[in-house]
Amino acid sequence: MLKLRLAELPDARAEGGAPLALPVRPGAALPDRYAAAAAAAGFDPTRGEALRLDGALGDRTAWLIGVAPGPMGMEAAGALAAASLAAVSLAGEERSGERRGVIDARGLPPGDVAALAIGAGMRAHRLPFYGATPPPALRRLELLVEDAAAHEPGIARARAMLRGAGLARDLAAEPANRLTPQIFVERLWELESHGIEVTVRGRRWLERHGYGGLLAVGRGSAHPPRLVELRWPGHSDAPPVAFVGKGITFDTGGVSIKGAAGMEAMKADMAGAAACAGAILALALRDSPAPATAVLAIAENMTDADSYRPGDVLRMASGLTVEVVDTDAEGRLVLADALHHARGLNPAAILDLATLTGSIISALGHHRAGLFGNDDALRDAAMAAGEAVGEPLWPMPIGRRHREDLASEIADLRHCLPPGGGGPGWAGKFLPDACHAAAFLRDFAAPEGGGTVPWAHLDIAGMDLREEGREAGSYPLPPGPSGYGVRLLDRLVADRFE
Amino acid sequence: MLDIAFAKPTLPESGALVLPLAEDDLGGGLVAEWDRLLGGHLARGISAAEFKGRKGQSATLYAPGGGLSRLVLIGLGKRDALDATAAEAAGGAAVTALGKESLAAIDARALSTNGGPSSGKGAATPADIALGAVLRAWRFDRYRTTEKAEDKPRLTGVKVLCEDPAASRAEWSSRKAVAEGVFLTRELVSEPANILNPPEFADRLRKLEKLGVEVEVFGQKDLEKLGFGSMLCVSQGSAQPPRMVVMRWNGTDQKKKDSKPLAFIGKGVTFDTGGISIKPAGGMEDMKWDMAGAGVVSGLMAALAGRKAKVDVVGLVGLVENMPSGTATRPGDVVTSYSGQTIEVINTDAEGRLVLADVLSYCKKRFDPAFMVNLATLTGAIIVALGNEHAGLFSNDDGLAQRIQEAGKAVGELAWRMPLGDAYDRAIRSDIADMKNVGGGRAGGSITAAQFIQRFVDGCPWAHLDIAGVAWSGKDQPTVPKGATAWGVRLLDRMVAEHHEGRSLAAAPAPEPAEEETALVSGADSASPATLSEGTPASEPLVPTPDAVTRPAESGAPVPRAPRRPATRRPRR
Repeated sequence: MLKLRLAELPDARAEGGAPLALPVRPGAALPDRYAAAAAAAGFDPTRGEALRLDGALGDRTAWLIGVAPGPMGMEAAGALAAASLAAVSLAGEERSGERRGVIDARGLPPGDVAALAIGAGMRAHRLPFYGATPPPALRRLELLVEDAAAHEPGIARARAMLRGAGLARDLAAEPANRLTPQIFVERLWELESHGIEVTVRGRRWLERHGYGGLLAVGRGSAHPPRLVELRWPGHSDAPPVAFVGKGITFDTGGVSIKGAAGMEAMKADMAGAAACAGAILALALRDSPAPATAVLAIAENMTDADSYRPGDVLRMASGLTVEVVDTDAEGRLVLADALHHARGLNPAAILDLATLTGSIISALGHHRAGLFGNDDALRDAAMAAGEAVGEPLWPMPIGRRHREDLASEIADLRHCLPPGGGGPGWAGKFLPDACHAAAFLRDFAAPEGGGTVPWAHLDIAGMDLREEGREAGSYPLPPGPSGYGVRLLDRLVADRFE
Repeated sequence: MLDIAFAKPTLPESGALVLPLAEDDLGGGLVAEWDRLLGGHLARGISAAEFKGRKGQSATLYAPGGGLSRLVLIGLGKRDALDATAAEAAGGAAVTALGKESLAAIDARALSTNGGPSSGKGAATPADIALGAVLRAWRFDRYRTTEKAEDKPRLTGVKVLCEDPAASRAEWSSRKAVAEGVFLTRELVSEPANILNPPEFADRLRKLEKLGVEVEVFGQKDLEKLGFGSMLCVSQGSAQPPRMVVMRWNGTDQKKKDSKPLAFIGKGVTFDTGGISIKPAGGMEDMKWDMAGAGVVSGLMAALAGRKAKVDVVGLVGLVENMPSGTATRPGDVVTSYSGQTIEVINTDAEGRLVLADVLSYCKKRFDPAFMVNLATLTGAIIVALGNEHAGLFSNDDGLAQRIQEAGKAVGELAWRMPLGDAYDRAIRSDIADMKNVGGGRAGGSITAAQFIQRFVDGCPWAHLDIAGVAWSGKDQPTVPKGATAWGVRLLDRMVAEHHEGRSLAAAPAPEPAEEETALVSGADSASPATLSEGTPASEPLVPTPDAVTRPAESGAPVPRAPRRPATRRPRR
C-alpha cells in the first residue's frame, strides 16, 4: 500500500533527494529549468509519456509526465509518475525494492491531485510476493501542494478507495493454496476492525437451508464452501444496497475439467467476491452514510470422486430445480443461491459481480465489462459510475430466446447449453453464454411474481486481470488483478444511495 | 406467393375458416355470431377444446358445419397487448394450422376492432394478417424433384374477412411489395453456391430493372481498374469472377446530381471456405449464406421499388467467392484498398470486411450518401455476444442507430447496439501496413471487425449490422419458416418509410463528420466504370466518378505498441 502524504513548501521533507515528477498538461508553460531540455527531447505532453531529466534539478532526477487529454488523463499521469519514480533507486533502496518519490502537484485543483494520487496508488500497489527480492515499487509518495488542508478530504477519499481496491487485488492475487475458502473467510473476519459486521455460514447451515447450488459446486473440494455476509451499517435505516460476489477460490472446471493452458489464472475466479469485499471496505473507511451488504458465495470447484456431475439435478435455495449441464459453469450456480440470499435482506438494489463467462470476452474484449439487469435506472447509474471511474460497462440483452434456451427436460431449467447446443450448422457452434448466464441468474435475482428489486449483473471476466502485452483499462497496471469493480461500486453508492 | 383477397365477413361456402380470438373475445359478439351461423358447433368446440384464447394456443374443429372443412381457433392473448406483430403472428399461425387445406378465410375482426394500440388502424390489421400468412407460407422447394404432390403444401389462397376490404386492399399493396422483397432475399440466401455464384447473382439482380431499378454491374476488369485491391484479394483464389452490383431506385423528383441518396451495402460472399485459413468441415455448408447481407440489400431494393417508395436509394453489393487455391491470398499478404489504405491480411477467413471496405469507400466517394448502412454475416463472435435474437448494431451516429433499433422493434427484427472506441481500434494496428484484418485473439471480435469497417466510411454517418446470428434460422418462427430469414429487409424498409420518405432528403439528418477523422486528399487511382469486362455490355455509368479520393486518417491517440501474445487463458464460465 502506497503511503500518500501531502506536503507544503517550505516544510516539505521532499523525501530527501527522492526523484520528483512534474505533471505537464498540454499547453501549460514549463518551468525555465526544464524548458530547454524538454524542447530538445521533443517532449509532447499530449502523448501521455514520461521524460527523464537528470541534472536539471540539482542532483535529483526529475520526470516530466505528460497529461494526455481525456477524462482519465490525470489518473493515468499519476500512474505513469509512480512507474517512473520507482525506476530511480536511491542509496540503500536497491535491495528492498522500496522506492520513494515526490509529485509536484502545485497549482492543480483538488480533484486533479486526488486523481494523481489514485493513479499513483493503483500503479504502485505491490501484490503478494513470496520470493526473496520483491519487484521494485513506489512505497512512499509526497504530493507537493500549496494548501494541504484543501486537498486532505480528496486524499482521504483516495486512500479509502485505494485500500478497498488493494484488498480486492491482494485477495485475487493470492494463490489458491494460500486462499482456500476458509482462509478467505479468515481474511474477511479482519474487516470487523473497521466496523463491518461479518457473518459466515458454513456447510451445515447451508445444508439446513437448502443452498444446493453452492453446496454442489463446493462438494468436490477438501475445503468446504462458505456464504459470507459483510454488513456496513452506514448511518441510516434505509434498506441496504446488496453486492453479490462470485468467490470461486480455484476453478478447475470440476468434472467438465478445463484445458491445462492458462488454468493458473483460475486462482482469480473469486475476483467478483474480492471486489465486493473491497467496496465494502472502501465505504467503511470513508464512513459512507449508506448501508451496504456484500453476500459472497465462496467455494472451490474441484475434480473429485464426490464432485457434482453433468446431468445432476440440484434443488437451489430458492426451491427451483436446476439441471447441471457443464460443471465448469459453476459461477452461476453459486451466484443463484447468493442472489436468493441477498433478496432475503430486502435490499434497495442488488448488484452482482462475477468473472462469469468467456463469452463476454468474445463480446466486449478487455475494455468493457458486460452489464445485464432488469432496471433501466440502475443500469444507467451503473454505466455512469463506471465511465466516471474508468471502469466502463456496456449494456447487454437478456432476450426471450436466451431464457427459452434454458428449458430442461427434467428440471425447472438448465444452467447453460452444452457445447454445440446452439443447433445444427455453423451458427450452432457459437453460444451466447454470457446472455444465457444472465437469463439464468434473473430467475433467482428477480423471479416472476417475487416483487421486483432492481438488479444488475456485471460479467467482469475480461476485466479482472491485467496481462503483460495486452492493452486493457484506462492506463497500464502491473500484470495481475486490477481490482475492477471496487471503484465502480463505491462511486455508484456515492451517486445513488447516499 | 399466396393469393390474398379481402372481403366482407360472410360464411365461406367451403374450405377452412380461421378465427383469431383474444382472451377477452370468448363469450363476445364475434363468437356468438359465428356460433349462430355454425349451429352451436363453435361454442361446443371452444368448450371441449378448452380454448381460452391464450397467446400461442390453437385448436382445430373439423367439419364444424356450414359446409366448412375445418375451423381453426387461434389464441391472441390479452386484447390490449395486440399490435401489428400479433396480427402477423396470427396470420403465420393460421398457415401452419391449416394443414392440407387449399383455401381459407381468416376473420380479422378480433384483431382490428375494439383493440388496444392497433384499434383505429382497422384497415391495416387485415393486411398485417395477410403479410404474416404469406411470409410464413413461403417455401424453397426448387430442388425437391421427387416430393409427391400430396406431400407439398396445398394452401394457395387466403381471404381475409374485414369491415373495409377496399381500404385493406390498399394497405396490402405496399406489404405485398415488401413480401416480394423478402422472398427475393430468402431465395438468394437459400440457393446453393454452385448455382448462385457472383455472376449468376448479378444476373438475377438485373431483373430488378423491370421494377425501375437502375442496375450496373462491375466485373473483374472494372474492379481492377478502380483499384479494388481489398475486395479482389478475396476472389482471387476462386474460379468464379467477382462482381459489384450498384442498384439505384430514385422515387423522388429530385435529380440525381442534387440528391444525397440513402445507401445500403451488403457483403455477398457466395461461398466462404475461409480461403487458405480454411474453416473446419463441420457446418461449412452454411457458408452458402455468407452472402445474406447482399441478399438483404437486393430484397430491400426490390421492396422499395416494388412499392414505389418516394426516396432516392442506392444499394451496393460486393459479390465474391472465397476459395483456397494456388492463386489465393495468403496470410501475411498486404493489399491496397480502393481508399488507398493498406491492409495486412492476417486471416483470410476475415474476408467480409475486405469486401465491404472497398464497396463502402466507393459508395461514399461516388454518391456522398446521406448515410450508409451495411449488412454482413460478419463474425461468429456476434453470436457468442448476442445469440440469434438480436443482430449487432455498430454506428458512429446515435440518431441513425436509434432509428434502426426502433424500426426493428416495430417489425420484430431486433438490433442491439454494440460499442466502438479507440481502444478497440488499436487492436487492428499492423506492423507493416495501415491495419490488419483481425485483432489479436478472439476478444471483442465483432467490435474489432466493426472498427476495421469504420476506417472506410470516411466520416459518413454509418451503421453496420452484423447479421451472422439472425440471417438463418434453425427453427420455425411465427412469420419466418426455418432457413433464410431475410432479416433486415423489413427493418430497413420500415426505417425508410418512417423517416426518409416523401420529404426532401435535405431534411434527412445532417451528416456529422466524425471528429477523429481528418480528411486527407490523396490521388488514388480511379477510372470511370464504363465497361463491364468478360463479355457483357455494361450499363451506362450513373454518375461521373469524382476526382479526389478522401482517405480517413488513422484515428486514436498514438500509444506505444505493446508486443502481442496469443491469449493463453481458457475462456472461463
